[in-house]
Amino acid sequence: MLHRCFSSRMARLVCALAVSAAVLIPPQASGAASMTSLTFWNGFTGPDAPTIQTLVSRYNTANHSSISVSQNVMPWADLMTKLLASYAVGQGPDVAAFHLQYLPQYVQAGLIAPIDDAYSHGLSAAAIPPDLLRSLKIGGHYYGAPANYATLMLYWNKDLFRKAGLSQAPTTLAQMQADAVKLSHQGANPQYGIALADHATIPMWPILMWQNGGDVVTADHSKSLLAAPKTIQAVTSWATLIAKDHVSPVGLAGAEADSYFQGQKAAMEINGPWATSGYTQAHINYDVAPVPVGPAGPVTLSDAVILVIDKHSPNLAAAESFVKWWNQKPQQAYISLRSGFPPARTDMTSDTSLQKNPFVIKFARQAPYARFYLAGLKNFDKIDTDVITPAIQSIEYNRASPAAALRKAATQMNALLP
Amino acid sequence: MAMPIAHASVSTAARRRGSLRPHGRARAILASYLFMLPSLLVIGVFMFWPILQIVWFSLHQWSFIATDHPYVGADNYRQLANDSRFWGDLHNTLLFTVGVVPASVLLPLPVAVALNRPLRGRAFFRAAYFLPAVSSYAVMAIVWSLLLQPDIGLLSRYLQLLHFPVADWLHDPSWALPAIMLVGIWKTIGFNMVILLTGIQGIPETYYEAAQVDGASTVARFFRITLPLLRPTLLFVTVTSMIASFQIFDPVFVMTGGGPLFSTETLVTYIYHEGFQLFDTGYASTIACILFLIMLVLTAVQLQVFRFQEED
Repeated sequence: MLHRCFSSRMARLVCALAVSAAVLIPPQASGAASMTSLTFWNGFTGPDAPTIQTLVSRYNTANHSSISVSQNVMPWADLMTKLLASYAVGQGPDVAAFHLQYLPQYVQAGLIAPIDDAYSHGLSAAAIPPDLLRSLKIGGHYYGAPANYATLMLYWNKDLFRKAGLSQAPTTLAQMQADAVKLSHQGANPQYGIALADHATIPMWPILMWQNGGDVVTADHSKSLLAAPKTIQAVTSWATLIAKDHVSPVGLAGAEADSYFQGQKAAMEINGPWATSGYTQAHINYDVAPVPVGPAGPVTLSDAVILVIDKHSPNLAAAESFVKWWNQKPQQAYISLRSGFPPARTDMTSDTSLQKNPFVIKFARQAPYARFYLAGLKNFDKIDTDVITPAIQSIEYNRASPAAALRKAATQMNALLP
Repeated sequence: MAMPIAHASVSTAARRRGSLRPHGRARAILASYLFMLPSLLVIGVFMFWPILQIVWFSLHQWSFIATDHPYVGADNYRQLANDSRFWGDLHNTLLFTVGVVPASVLLPLPVAVALNRPLRGRAFFRAAYFLPAVSSYAVMAIVWSLLLQPDIGLLSRYLQLLHFPVADWLHDPSWALPAIMLVGIWKTIGFNMVILLTGIQGIPETYYEAAQVDGASTVARFFRITLPLLRPTLLFVTVTSMIASFQIFDPVFVMTGGGPLFSTETLVTYIYHEGFQLFDTGYASTIACILFLIMLVLTAVQLQVFRFQEED
């Protein structure tokens, strides 16, 4: 009797274990090809989020039998905090998008894969803006490809200009400064000629330095040029206008500068194509114009988000295929038309399909004059937040003269250069 | 011969007091530790181990980006001693604490006393005061940023209507930290009020009745009965408010980012900047160790000042 009971319990136990095993142990792969899953992390959380989502869906549809891309989208600040730690422990995504300035850090840490093979088979190096292409190459190898590309232009409020008796945007630096004074007034309802942000922003002050022939650092990154006479001259002229004529609020973050322009409290702003949709929806009567030309000739700032591949990704070929597909003309045209960004290809400026969004061609035409800020410098973040921004702010708040502040900043920056 | 009853009682009592044999005592102690083990594991993994780790990191040149982490001894601490930005941030943190803690402990006290009385609408006022405590700090910081805007902010508008001067609160190095302190006080008053209210409600009514019989005034009852018996609660809110003030991060990060000109940067925002923006984990850990030591000393001092006892 005891033996029968034991056998019955034993049988039930064996059955339970067998069922559990069948459920928990995955089936062996069959002879047919299996789907390759790619993970893609990016920070496209703003108005361009639906555009990127559609792009990824299109890729999955086109490659439904072999490759499937899943996105993880988060704010850029969170992405940069999470990405490095994830790569360091081997848990990073196959493909990631981040701003170009971070590339040297990741390359030096040995976390991302060179993609020279992609440039040999599919990615057209000749079509990438030259300054961007130079920044993607480190130590003789390419480590990324463009995800998007942007240039900055001068946004100007046509209504505020007309009220001040001005009919068009300034074309020279002297006109820009004169117009900024004319457009500024204090009192109960203050208005500013221009909204100049100095932190947490796409950099604006470097453009003002470049306009005058000044600069931040030498081309070979060996020496800071913050204390160069033309840099000091440029910053001094704008600092005087801010202190004496209140042409701009001080201490603005980028989002605050955007609010001033969008709230029609500032008549001008130097900004990128991402602002066009917001300002259009706010029914601001505005247009964009090339950054006024100074003694150094036409110049503006460029910015790019790039795609990189995890060095330890088990799906390198699939990841390269995704990156190459992203940079093809139809995809670049789609991103441009939906976002207003110029295409990250110089061979599309005469593409008639891009005429549907008038801002695209305007921003694209600035590419030949556009320069990257602190690109290629491993310590760019520390230089920008701990050296340059405090220097500019100390000038804006009259804590130091431009010459003294910039000389101190140059010394600090030289200590951080390679 | 029968044992004397007293002696028998003593023997029984001695056994009842648990004069266990050594083997039984050991089992009882082991059982106690086994019951504590889950909590000790959680505290060990999530509290003590990270503390030991940051001490370890602080003795190395440690970065996520680097592949090797050389031992540097006290170099990080020497660098910190000569770091003017650290001393500035410590000054800001102390200033914030000195400004916020007394206000957030003393201001809720009369409110708690008032809300302990049978007032009409008492439940509404209790909820209204407690609302900031349950609101997201980061979200409220965004709201306050808009309220404090000089051109379009509501607070600035009302001040202008009352002919008070209006400053660019968050962009003026002289006003940015006081503005954030105001937000800090606003955020903690409600929570401390609830804690103090609970403490007041725990004071037996008999003391007040006896004092009333003896002819003590309301003020005398407050200072002679309420305050002394509220000592453990006051100690609690003071210590927790101080710890929260030293760890202030959300409003600084959201409202000013530590600016303008580092006038609002605190130790924790500096730790975040070094550790998560510049990825210098070693240096960030060094600052964290110093912050930990400062808070440890200050907490010990407070416990001494409040004459902390075990039963508290």
